[in-house]
Amino acid sequence: MLVDFLVVGVSIGLVYAIVALGISLIYSGLDIVHFAHGEFVMFGAFFGLVLVNDSGLNYPISIFLAMIFAGLMGVVVERVFYRRLTSKGGGYTVAGMGMIICGFGMAIILQNIAFLIWGAEGHAINVDFGTPMKIGTVNLPKSYLWILCVSVGLMAILHLFLKNTKAGLAIRAVAANKDIAYLMGINVPLMISLIFGLACGLAAVGGVLIGPINYVQVEMGYLILIKGFAAAVVGGFGSLPGAILGGLMVGIFETLGAGYISGSHKDIYAFLLLIAVLVIMPTGLFGQLAKSKA
Amino acid sequence: MKKTLTCLVVAGLLASGSSWAGEIRIGATMRMISENGQKYGQMMQDEFDAINARGGINGNTVELILLNDECKSDKGVANANKFAYQDNVHLIIGSTCSSVSLPIVDVTAQAEVPQIIPHSTNDQITKKDSAWVFRVPISARYYKGVVAKYLHDKVGDQVAYVYASDAAAMSETQGIIQQMRDVYGVEPVYEAQTQEKEIDFRSHLLKIKDLEPDAIYFGGLQEPIARFLVQSYEVGIPASVVRAASSAASNAPVPKLAGDAVQGVFFSAAYSDSDTRPIAQLFNSYVRNRYGIGGVDHDFSQAYDLIRIVEIALGNADLSLEDDDLAADRTAIRDAIANVQGYEGLASGPISFCADSTPQCRDGNRTPVLIQYIEGGEDFKVGILDRVTMPIEFGL
Repeated sequence: MLVDFLVVGVSIGLVYAIVALGISLIYSGLDIVHFAHGEFVMFGAFFGLVLVNDSGLNYPISIFLAMIFAGLMGVVVERVFYRRLTSKGGGYTVAGMGMIICGFGMAIILQNIAFLIWGAEGHAINVDFGTPMKIGTVNLPKSYLWILCVSVGLMAILHLFLKNTKAGLAIRAVAANKDIAYLMGINVPLMISLIFGLACGLAAVGGVLIGPINYVQVEMGYLILIKGFAAAVVGGFGSLPGAILGGLMVGIFETLGAGYISGSHKDIYAFLLLIAVLVIMPTGLFGQLAKSKA
Repeated sequence: MKKTLTCLVVAGLLASGSSWAGEIRIGATMRMISENGQKYGQMMQDEFDAINARGGINGNTVELILLNDECKSDKGVANANKFAYQDNVHLIIGSTCSSVSLPIVDVTAQAEVPQIIPHSTNDQITKKDSAWVFRVPISARYYKGVVAKYLHDKVGDQVAYVYASDAAAMSETQGIIQQMRDVYGVEPVYEAQTQEKEIDFRSHLLKIKDLEPDAIYFGGLQEPIARFLVQSYEVGIPASVVRAASSAASNAPVPKLAGDAVQGVFFSAAYSDSDTRPIAQLFNSYVRNRYGIGGVDHDFSQAYDLIRIVEIALGNADLSLEDDDLAADRTAIRDAIANVQGYEGLASGPISFCADSTPQCRDGNRTPVLIQYIEGGEDFKVGILDRVTMPIEFGL
C-alpha cells in the first residue's frame, strides 16, 4: 500500500509544485505574495474545460492553449491592475502590503467573474484516459502519468529557459535587483509582465491537470493555493527548486499522513510539515538559495 | 422640504402596508447556486405564479419572496429573520440543506411562523420539538432503515463508510451504521469522516481497497459523491464492490459528473425518474420540457409536492390577511398544514401531518424508494429496486 500512497502523493504533489513554482516566480521577481494565484489555477481549469468539452480539442493542445490564455490574462491583470502598486515596491513597503490586499480583492473579483460565466456547480473535463495501468498490485491511472509527464516537462523547459536564454537571464537579473537591471538596459516592466504571464500560465496547467480528477469549480483555486503556499514556504519562498521539492514533500506527506494516521484530518499534515520545517530551517529548505533568488 | 419627504415616506409605507391585505406572503430560502438549484427556485416561482393566474387561493394572491442562502447557515438564518420580522410573511419555505434548515427551525419557533421544509433530511430537524416545522422530504431515520436492510439482505455486511461533515450526510450515514450495528450486529469495516469540501478521497479509498469490502458507502453532497465514485475506480476498487451513496446521489449533477462511474450505484430517495405512474410520467415530461433537465431528481418532485401541500393548506386556512391578524393567520396556516392527511402526489407514498410537535407528526413522508443508476451522463437512467413505507415510529 505504501507504493500506492506514494503514487497518489507524487501526483498531487507535482500539481502543488507547479502552483508553488508560479508563486515563487512572482515573489522572486516582484517581492510580492500573489493571493489571487489560485484563481488562475481555476481559470486555467475552466479554459481547459471549454477547450476540451466545447471546442473538442484534444487534451495536450488544451493544456497548451489554457496555459497561453491564462498567461495572457495574467499579463493583463498585472499591467492594468497591479502595475501601479508593484512599481512602488514590494515586501514590507506600504505598496507591498497594499499588493496583498489587492491580491485578495482580485481573487474575489475573478471568482465572481467565473461564477457569472460558468456557475457554481462542478464540471467534469471529458477526457477519456482509458483504464488504469496495473503494475504489480499498484493501479496507475493514466491521468497521473499525464500529471507526471507534463509537470516534469514544464519544469525542465522553465529551467532551460531561465538558464539558457537572454530573456531568462533578464528575468534573473530583474529578480536579483530591478534598479541595476534597469541601468543595464533591461526592459524591467516587460520582464515583470513576462514573469507574471509565466507564473499564471503555470497555474493554469496545474488547473487543467487536476481538473479531470477533482472537477472544475469556482472555489477550487483557494484549496490548491493554500497547499501551493505551504509548498513554496517549505521549499524556501522565492526558490524555484525549493518550490518543486516543497510541492512533492507536501503532497507525499499529506497522503502518507492520511493513509497511516487519519484521513479525516488530511489538510493538517501539510501544515504540520510546514511548521516542522520552519522551526528547524526558518527560511525553508532552500532558504539560502532564496536570498539570491531564482 | 423635509416635511414633504416625511409625508411621502409615510404615505409610501401606508400604501405598501395596505397592499398586503389579500396577499399571502411566503418567504422561501433555498440553495440556488447551481443550475439545478436555480431551477428548483424557478419552479417554485412558476407554480405560485400559476396559482395566482388561476385566481389565487380563495381569491387571495400569493406573493413569493425567493432568496438564495447558498447552503450557508448564516445566510439562511438571516433570510429567515428577514422573512419573519421584516417582510412579515405568513409562511417560510426552506431550506435545501439540512445545515441551514436546522438553525432556521429555532428562528421560526421563536417568531412563531410556520416553516415547511422542501429538501432537508437530517432527522434532528423535527426532533427540536417545534410546533411550527413540517417536513415534506423523507427523514434520514427512514432512509437508514431501507439502506441498511438492503445492504444486509442483498449486498453483504462488510461495508466501508466515508462521509462528509455536512449535516445531512452525517445524519444519513451515521444512521445506517447505527442501524447495521443495532439490528444486524455488524460493525463497519472502515469508517471515516471527511471535510465537506474534500476533493481527494484516494487515501481513504486505498485503505478500503486493501480491506476488500462487499460495499462502499459515501455520504455527502452531489459533487463529493461524484468525485468519490470516480476516484474509487481510479485506485482500482473493482466493479464487483457495490457502491452506495446518500440521498443527494439523486441529484442530476452526480450522474453528469461521475459518468460511467455511477453505473450500479444505489441510493435511497423520495422519487425516481423511472417511476411509471402516470402522474410521474406527466411530471417528468413537464420538468424536462420547461426546465431543460435531462433526468428529473427528487428535489424537483419534493418542491412540487410542497407547493401542492401549501396550496391545500392555504385553501383550508381561515385567513383575514390583515396586518393586525398576522399572528392569528400564521397559527391558522400552521394548523391547516397539520391537518393535511393522505396527500397523494409525486412522493411514492401518502404524506400526512398532525398537530403534535413530534417527529411522528412532522415527518410527513415515510416512503423511501431504493434506486439504482443504470446509466450515467446528462441523460442518465435509473431503475427502482424497492419501495418501502416505513413504520411511523421507525428510528426514534
